[in-house]
Amino acid sequence: MRTVCKYLLHLTVLAILFAGNIQAWAASVHSFKVDGLACPFCSYGVEKQLKAIPGVSGIKISIKTSTVTVTMKDGTKLTRAQADRAVKDAGFTMRNFR
Amino acid sequence: MQRISSVCIAVLIATGTSLPTGAAPITTNTALPVAKGEYVFREQVIFNQSGDDPSGANRDHHVAVSASVLGYGVTPDLALFGVMPVAYKKLKLNPPGGARVTRKDSGLGDIRAFARYTAYKKNMPGKTFRIAPFAGVELPTGSNTGTDALGRLPPSVQLGSGSWDPFGGVIVTYQTLDFEIDLQAGYQANTKADGFESGDVARLDGSLQYRLWPAKLADDTSAFIYGVGELNLIHQEKNRANGIANPNSGGTTLWGLVGLQYVTARRIIEAGVQLPLMQDLNGTALERDYIVRGSVRLNF
Repeated sequence: MRTVCKYLLHLTVLAILFAGNIQAWAASVHSFKVDGLACPFCSYGVEKQLKAIPGVSGIKISIKTSTVTVTMKDGTKLTRAQADRAVKDAGFTMRNFR
Repeated sequence: MQRISSVCIAVLIATGTSLPTGAAPITTNTALPVAKGEYVFREQVIFNQSGDDPSGANRDHHVAVSASVLGYGVTPDLALFGVMPVAYKKLKLNPPGGARVTRKDSGLGDIRAFARYTAYKKNMPGKTFRIAPFAGVELPTGSNTGTDALGRLPPSVQLGSGSWDPFGGVIVTYQTLDFEIDLQAGYQANTKADGFESGDVARLDGSLQYRLWPAKLADDTSAFIYGVGELNLIHQEKNRANGIANPNSGGTTLWGLVGLQYVTARRIIEAGVQLPLMQDLNGTALERDYIVRGSVRLNF
């Protein structure tokens, strides 16, 4: 009985780790703040600049918190420099890239 | 007839469409950015009525303008703009000793082309402060030699000035999540064409946009409704014909506007009514009654 419990525990741990890895392989998600963004119409400039970066599959912008969340396609990654360039080209300032 | 040309200039000034960038003011410009390599477009329809005539000729002047504005971001700080007006102008009046007549014309007006450069900007969380000078020229694309059965049309009915008129100014913008303030000082130096020169124009503009809806922002807020209040102080020098100043032209007008804007990421829909709060016009220059404006701005 003790062995079975131990075996189940190992299985559970492995499942959790595996699930986490699947998520990591599926897509990378980045978020950052955009200073200067204060209305919806201006946010479209940021969105279009980010969309032009290869691998970007989704963009979510919160005007309230000035937070931009970018989802990347499998196997691609958004770099800080790419995000910074896109935000600058839209006329704004990036900070807190994660 | 030349004395009412000030009306024409007033219309051109009043129709000076604001830039399509950001949640901009309705009558004046903003320093908010146009993203690099991106276009913004604005189509504005303006109805301008003037009919309080101290001259005794019972003049009634009506102008309808459809102004298309295209902006392009060369860099995040430098943007180029073109304004193409198409106008319908009509003037009714009682000439001395004659029956009431109507003079009218329609077509392309004078295109304005200009550049705006953001000389200073400070981006902060949920707010921005910017200073942007601009400079450009009004091109003589509209006809200034239109005629009808009565002869050459007066300047107030002509579609264009016939002259190359440089203009410039500076815009200061402060925008937060709750409100936006835009201030502009501008000057247009009108030059002579075919012996006629409209008076130079100086203007000061102020605009306040206040977010009425939603009262509180949520994480998924994607649209605003702004209440808009604007003031435009416009002074025009006297017109000159063959070097002689017309005492019945030019003057100073203070306009006030109230309006509403619906703002989303892709478009802005807006409308406003503009009334003259103060008119100090020279001689028997025709007084303005009202201007109604409606427009759509598109990000694409």
